[in-house]
Amino acid sequence: METSDKILTKAKMPFCPGCGHGVCVRSTSKSLENLGYGSKDVVMVSDIGCSGLVDPLFATHTIHGLHGRSPALGFGVTLGLDNPNKKVIVIQGDGGATIGLQHILEASRRNVDMTLIVLNNLLYGMTGGQMSGLSTNNFKQFKHSDDNAEPYDIVNLAHQAGAAFSVRVNDISNFEKILKEAIEKPGFSLVELSSLCTSHGMKKISELKNYIVEEEKFTNNRPVGVSLRRNTANLFNRAKILTPQFNSNISETIGVVIAGSAGGGIQSAAKMLAQAGILSGLYATMKGEYPITVGTGFSVAEVILSKKPIHFTGLENPSVVLAVTEDGWNKIKNRISSTSKVLIDSKINSEESYTTKEFLKEGGKKGAALSAVSYWINESKVFPIEALLKVVEGSKYEESLRSAIKSAENL
Amino acid sequence: MVLTDASRIMTEALVQSGADVFIGYPITPSNLFYAYSKERFPEFLAGPDEISVLQWMCGYSAAGKIPVTATSFPGLALMTETLNMAYMMELPMVLVIVQRLGPSTGSATTGAQGDLKFLDGIISGGLPLPIFSPSDFKDSWNLANEAVKTAVEFRTPVILLTSKEMVMTQKGFDINLLKALNRVNNPIKNFEPPYQPYKAGEDMVPPFVPLGNEELQARFNASTHDNDGLIRKGTPESLANTWRLREKLEKRIDEFFFYELDAENGATNLIVSWGITADASRDAVQTIRKKGNKISLLIVKTILPISSKIYEIIDSYEKVLFAEENMTGLYKEMIFGKRNNSKVKTATKFGGMLTPSEIEKMLFN
Repeated sequence: METSDKILTKAKMPFCPGCGHGVCVRSTSKSLENLGYGSKDVVMVSDIGCSGLVDPLFATHTIHGLHGRSPALGFGVTLGLDNPNKKVIVIQGDGGATIGLQHILEASRRNVDMTLIVLNNLLYGMTGGQMSGLSTNNFKQFKHSDDNAEPYDIVNLAHQAGAAFSVRVNDISNFEKILKEAIEKPGFSLVELSSLCTSHGMKKISELKNYIVEEEKFTNNRPVGVSLRRNTANLFNRAKILTPQFNSNISETIGVVIAGSAGGGIQSAAKMLAQAGILSGLYATMKGEYPITVGTGFSVAEVILSKKPIHFTGLENPSVVLAVTEDGWNKIKNRISSTSKVLIDSKINSEESYTTKEFLKEGGKKGAALSAVSYWINESKVFPIEALLKVVEGSKYEESLRSAIKSAENL
Repeated sequence: MVLTDASRIMTEALVQSGADVFIGYPITPSNLFYAYSKERFPEFLAGPDEISVLQWMCGYSAAGKIPVTATSFPGLALMTETLNMAYMMELPMVLVIVQRLGPSTGSATTGAQGDLKFLDGIISGGLPLPIFSPSDFKDSWNLANEAVKTAVEFRTPVILLTSKEMVMTQKGFDINLLKALNRVNNPIKNFEPPYQPYKAGEDMVPPFVPLGNEELQARFNASTHDNDGLIRKGTPESLANTWRLREKLEKRIDEFFFYELDAENGATNLIVSWGITADASRDAVQTIRKKGNKISLLIVKTILPISSKIYEIIDSYEKVLFAEENMTGLYKEMIFGKRNNSKVKTATKFGGMLTPSEIEKMLFN
């Protein structure tokens, strides 16, 4: 690491007279320089509010973001850089820590190697001195605030979430030394510094001590969160390649609706039907519909089979409807047209007289849909049943799938 | 042939194009991207919420990586402030937005094309954000690649705008049609010294120097800033910098403008469509022609910024029908406003896919 260049620019401090933020900036610079960091070794991440005014003061790499989000931004920078020779320092105020509390907890939980300085001047300075989640009750009384709930103990919260190092510093003369300790500690470190806002709070540092909470310091010995990169393979390497090897005699596009209940193998039966269609030289699409709860209620799938390329994947009038449970039937019975071929399980109560078959009895709960698909293939002769048997070949459930397909012969 | 979906195709294309990391928060119907990305991306991170996701992505991007996420409207809504930050900082990244039925949480497993106008105005001040919308599986491959290229070349977030039916429906597809893609590189361009982080040359895009560079000081700034990347309120230089964000995209739109025009000689009617409704429009056009009527079809793939080429094409027809899966025709409103006129019609549907026969019916209605 180079040490010849300076951490700070020559820009004039922009803070109000007596504001604690200027001391923080100078101490941060000294801590970094004493540790041997050069300007290109440091990324300074800043927030919105008075604490955000630090951005032009640093001659390091800088990134000046949004209110409260800088710990998350710093998190991304740290993992994105993935370089132990670079140091990411984030500075935000107590308002930023309030709105972005989740980001502090997440950085602590994952213990990424960065340091967060929370400049706690007990209020939102830039917007007129409103109270924050870190404003103490004494201070709120002083400001005549109605909120008398205890403030967040951000230091302890970070500790509980897993931060390697978290500390509150009330005496600014100790800040440089403690910040150095925080920067040196691998993992996530948080330093809350009590700071004076002379415009909206106390005028003197001697008064501030009546309004702040006691110092505390915690450590956790945990693994440091790092970037995990790995080698991966093309997503199509393991795709099932379907080379046509059977023939189909269909002349019109066929739309098949398969309806049943969650867990009944509806979606996989539909997928196998589509794959068997492709093996038979057809174009095929498949889509599913189910409640957001996935594991309960109806499950409906649509398959389109065609000699021609398929553009629109919706199904206006299903040519074939296969229903194996009441749940599924209730969902799709209104979609049936006068030309639809309908096959339903014999246990389904239907007002109309449709052809019934004992799909559930022969195929079982998980195999009923596949049994119904197989029955329809056998009956309609859209393509040979061998195409479907070819699809299940090599599956880890091959035996039970073959059994469901074969069960259709008994219907 | 394989039976596959557009989520898989886009994920593979994004990685081959050089995307480094997927950062996501699960939301239906974008979950297949999450699952495939976990398997395929060199790095995968599960964020605790969508604000964190996009902030982390900004950090990765500023450090020189190309991050990707996928979400739907509720997630996009949470990301909006940070998306503005990424736009202002000029950070390359790709966001896949899978549209579902709104408003609010709406119906998570029903597709829609309802987020277009939100995206049109999502950058405060009405600045344009590049938006690509694939109309089929081949587009899904090519536009994912173009999204990465555009993000890097123009230093900007890019949106891949799609819909539930595109990314969850499986189709038999010949993967040999997908040409292997080259990784998009992001070298530091030549610049006239001294280096200033936001000083752009004739191409209107400043050289990208990642945080941590050993030679040059990188500065990124979400607030109005000068060429040095320092906050400046209302100076000519800082305001020009913000104007540049608009101009770099609008003046160079030809470099990333994609569309498909199936023009029939002598046709006076034009169907305009995009995204998931494009395939229904293709079928409608086939049927209309079979019946002996003349018709042309324009499928728009670069939705924003709007290229003047779109106006030229539309102006050369007597009647134009916009086919979209939303209440009133949001793309139509972007082109013509809310007021209909005798030249313009819409075929729209809310809560389900617009069908070819509905498009055909509206054309002759």
